[in-house]
Amino acid sequence: MKDTYDAIVVGAGPAGCAAAYTLAAGGVSVALLERGSKPGSKNMFGGTIYRIPTEEIIPGFWQKAPLERAVISDQLWIMEQDSAVNIGFTGLKYSIPPYNKFTAIRTDFDSWFAQQAVKVGARLYTKALVKELLYEKKLLGKGPINGVKMDTGDKLYANCVILCEGVNAFLTKQAGLRSKIPPHAMTLYCKEVLELPGHIIEERFNLEKGLGAIMGMVGYPTAGAVGKGGIWTNKNSLSLMVGGYLDQLAQKKLSPYILLQRLKQHPLVRKLIQGAKVIEYQAHMIPKGGYHFIPNLYSDGLLVAGDAAVMISGRRGTDLAMLSGKYAAEAVIAAKAKEDFSAETLRSYQVKLNNTFFMKDIKSSRNVLDYYKDHPDSDFLMSKFINDAAYHYFTTGMQSEKKVLDNITKELTILQLPLKSIKDIYAGLKYWGVF
Amino acid sequence: MDMIKEIRAPLEFNQHKVDRQSHIAIKDAGLCKKKCTLKPCTYICPSQVYTWQNHSLRIDYARCVECGACHAFCQENILLNYPRGGFGVEWRY
Repeated sequence: MKDTYDAIVVGAGPAGCAAAYTLAAGGVSVALLERGSKPGSKNMFGGTIYRIPTEEIIPGFWQKAPLERAVISDQLWIMEQDSAVNIGFTGLKYSIPPYNKFTAIRTDFDSWFAQQAVKVGARLYTKALVKELLYEKKLLGKGPINGVKMDTGDKLYANCVILCEGVNAFLTKQAGLRSKIPPHAMTLYCKEVLELPGHIIEERFNLEKGLGAIMGMVGYPTAGAVGKGGIWTNKNSLSLMVGGYLDQLAQKKLSPYILLQRLKQHPLVRKLIQGAKVIEYQAHMIPKGGYHFIPNLYSDGLLVAGDAAVMISGRRGTDLAMLSGKYAAEAVIAAKAKEDFSAETLRSYQVKLNNTFFMKDIKSSRNVLDYYKDHPDSDFLMSKFINDAAYHYFTTGMQSEKKVLDNITKELTILQLPLKSIKDIYAGLKYWGVF
Repeated sequence: MDMIKEIRAPLEFNQHKVDRQSHIAIKDAGLCKKKCTLKPCTYICPSQVYTWQNHSLRIDYARCVECGACHAFCQENILLNYPRGGFGVEWRY
């Protein structure tokens, strides 16, 4: 077995596969290490693969990759116990090639993605858990990183390691690049996969054959914490998910599993999933940390990408993981050309990231976390008010329109909304991030 | 709270390849008993790995889905690793 490579990529998720694919295609010898029995078997996500960013790695991927449904419809339900205000968009342009985004099953998609890297020359190791980074020996202190040690004691050597190890980032912490991320900067989601025949899914979600829909849900699903529920359509199953900020779940004594069971009982959700059989239960965290918690992204012989690097912006994570993995790989290709894997050379990765659209987004929303920390009731109150107002508005009764609107205004003033001053209204509009 | 007792997930639906050795440990069990009143690990864990029984924390590591929430919330006292390569939860979807 060959045990020396130009580069080692830890983790065969979207970031790792993109990095390994880019490296191998660029003529760099690379080992891609996955701790699960196959790529994707430890992974969970919010349902969608976005076409345009993914094509930055593999153009035309959607013609070959295992995808579930092309998504044409995005809905947001602002929910209360017995009502929901719906906001949504259905675009039929998205039902024809080249499409916009797709639902996917992680084990299928990640395995396929890893195989694309293998096809261009990457070596994939599965059941391969890295326990330690190896450093070159120096007379004083540690030298640059030159490999990894597995849980079996086996060692692999390389000039450079790219950590795409996901949200928990044990190795990134071990390398001293990431500090502790507090619970208010993490969200926790759990999800059930519910088996249901494709034609029934299409009937219930008003879809043509093969097309898909996604629904986000705020308010009711998280029982007072800031977070979200969601349901989306796979070929022959639905994914139903719920979760929120870890600190709020803990403070409000909420169990994510019980929130999920509670959401399944909601009259509007119950109808969608009726008769479906649970075939899997998953949970995963998202490092919502944002700009303040992005770790150091490079050091001598080491780069960090994807969730480990907190590359999350709003609903986007999988695509940013891929893009950051690609950019990390490009930095390594340049470093190989110079035969210099020092931090100084690898710094080009950071420079590249700083100029991306998503880093600008991450930077501009850096105060969102503080907003939610200070306004833990914002989702609950907004959702309650919007539904109460809708009940007033849509109930056809015996009042003048002016009276109806007066009642809604009265309601608004009674509720302890987080909007008490002009400043609060501004902050609410800016940070209440359900859209 | 009754619902917690009824939780059968995830073992019923998921494939878990359970290792002989646990990948979760508690640094100081006394801390759970004396200092931790809410014991968030017993409800925040999405697969109910942690239960409070007979004045001590019981860890059923076989139920773990490796999300890391327990460690993220209790970084001081819960020592979490990933199961050895090839072990632990294996999702199919």
